[in-house]
Amino acid sequence: MKELIQGNQAIYLGAKKAGISFYAGYPITPASEIMHEFAKSDVKFIQAEDEIASINLCIGASLGGGKVMTATSGPGFSLMQESIGYAHMAEVPMVIVDVQRVGPSTGMPTIGAQQDVMQTRYGSHGDYFPIVFYPNSVEECFKLTIDAFNAAERTMSPVVILSDAYIAHLFETFDVESVEVDVINRERKPLGELSGQHFTGLLHESDGTLKTMDSDFYNKWIVEKKNNVDKVANDYDFYDYFENENSDTLLIGFGVVSRVLNSLKDKYAIFRPIRMFPVVEELKSIAEKYKKVVVVEMNSGQYKSVVSGVLGKEVEGVSIFGDVSKEVILNKL
Amino acid sequence: MSEINYTKFVKTEKLPGVWCDGCFVPALLMQSAVVFDQLKFKNSDTAVVSGIGCTGRIAGYFNLDSVHSIHGRAASVAEGIKTQNPKMNVVVISGDGDLLSIGGNHLLHTSRRNPDITVICYNNEIYGLTGGQTSPETRKGNITLTSPQGSKFNRLNAQKIVSSNDKYFYGRTAIFNLDHFKKVLSEALKHKGFSFIEVMGFCYETDGRRRGYKKPLEMIEEMKKSYSVTEEQGELKDNELGINKN
Repeated sequence: MKELIQGNQAIYLGAKKAGISFYAGYPITPASEIMHEFAKSDVKFIQAEDEIASINLCIGASLGGGKVMTATSGPGFSLMQESIGYAHMAEVPMVIVDVQRVGPSTGMPTIGAQQDVMQTRYGSHGDYFPIVFYPNSVEECFKLTIDAFNAAERTMSPVVILSDAYIAHLFETFDVESVEVDVINRERKPLGELSGQHFTGLLHESDGTLKTMDSDFYNKWIVEKKNNVDKVANDYDFYDYFENENSDTLLIGFGVVSRVLNSLKDKYAIFRPIRMFPVVEELKSIAEKYKKVVVVEMNSGQYKSVVSGVLGKEVEGVSIFGDVSKEVILNKL
Repeated sequence: MSEINYTKFVKTEKLPGVWCDGCFVPALLMQSAVVFDQLKFKNSDTAVVSGIGCTGRIAGYFNLDSVHSIHGRAASVAEGIKTQNPKMNVVVISGDGDLLSIGGNHLLHTSRRNPDITVICYNNEIYGLTGGQTSPETRKGNITLTSPQGSKFNRLNAQKIVSSNDKYFYGRTAIFNLDHFKKVLSEALKHKGFSFIEVMGFCYETDGRRRGYKKPLEMIEEMKKSYSVTEEQGELKDNELGINKN
């Protein structure tokens, strides 16, 4: 049966469907509705003293065998960054939702933005390779949350769901029961059943033996780490593409912006990355068909620089804030 | 004194470990392992979590599943483990810099939420791993790398923080009195709810040398003179070792 559901609520429902057992978070606009849902639910729930505690509570519960999630916005996501690196190093699966608002700093808390794109990729110190999804509908919030939990289990790493204030507070109807996504469960046993396993943020072998002075080991390890993520990510190479043979221009947009771009598909070709990172491979062959590539985003050109790097040429960018409308975008193109 | 058996809970093959000569963190490791054994903990139902620092390296030496978390967040990780696995014995062991400085906020709130975990704070009054900077437990007037004219501030009072809650367990013991340590740790582990014990210790290499001590034993002898054990109930005075709980 179709129901009227909000974007943030759909993320909660997706997490429930994926088998979440623990949620910790700290109130922040525009992400709070997610934690309100968990507070009412039967999922183990802690309102933490800050976002650093939130993610570390999640790390503990995940190592304890649970499927875990936390949700926040830019300021909280910044506070979590050190722990995100830890979770990549120590192999702790979890899902982190970042519902973006305008920054830097406290910025414009109720206005949606897409300014954390690079923070998802490079926010923590050191090199790591996160999988990042960005839904643009309420139904997709639900589905991608399940995919994010699955990808986290398969990479034993944090997976990020980007959202924005508009998608978060959007109400749409869909039938939760009609969405078919398999759920992948934890292979690793919980703490207590691992015969003396040591989890650490220091460089280590799979059994926990430290390798803090071994550069050769690091060089092999970092390649393996990237390959492992890429291999899993390949099964989630989600994107939308509207070809347009009459246009020489490819517009790239994601999240709420992509909904507006869709209304321009008669005039332009449209590409929407759903998996933001690692960048979907197909983008290269699609972009080749067009003379001009323009990334339209609610920031000052973050994904534009990513796309430029992937395509090996400088692409154009359109930055929009506040008025995310067809007219504003057309005016800037 | 009961038989000392630490082998069940210590990865003895990894000893003597990363610590300097004259450091008493290994004593903390061994004696905690003895208490786990005395309380009939199992390797499969106990987890040790540590933060960052000299004491933070202790987790990897326990013969059980352990977590060496980031700086200051061990209590949060421990509460997460306990919430997910309520039957598990979850013990945090870390230093004063980790638990009381960078991790201070989590001490306030983890103790307030009162999960059934035990936090052991090895208080050596200094940041040792980074070479000897002032910690929140450095004594006023002590010279460190970051207080060359002497530390200007009073020490943080962990007892007052922990005992500000309605229900609490605060224990203070010392690394030179291992029988007392084992007694206090045992009580803390048996306590239902959040228990916090401070183990008064020292660091010869990065603190004692600078302050003119010729060997670790001199620091121990001085500590022995300055602390006394009390069986009295209620708030512990600064020089008292004992248990303050409600």
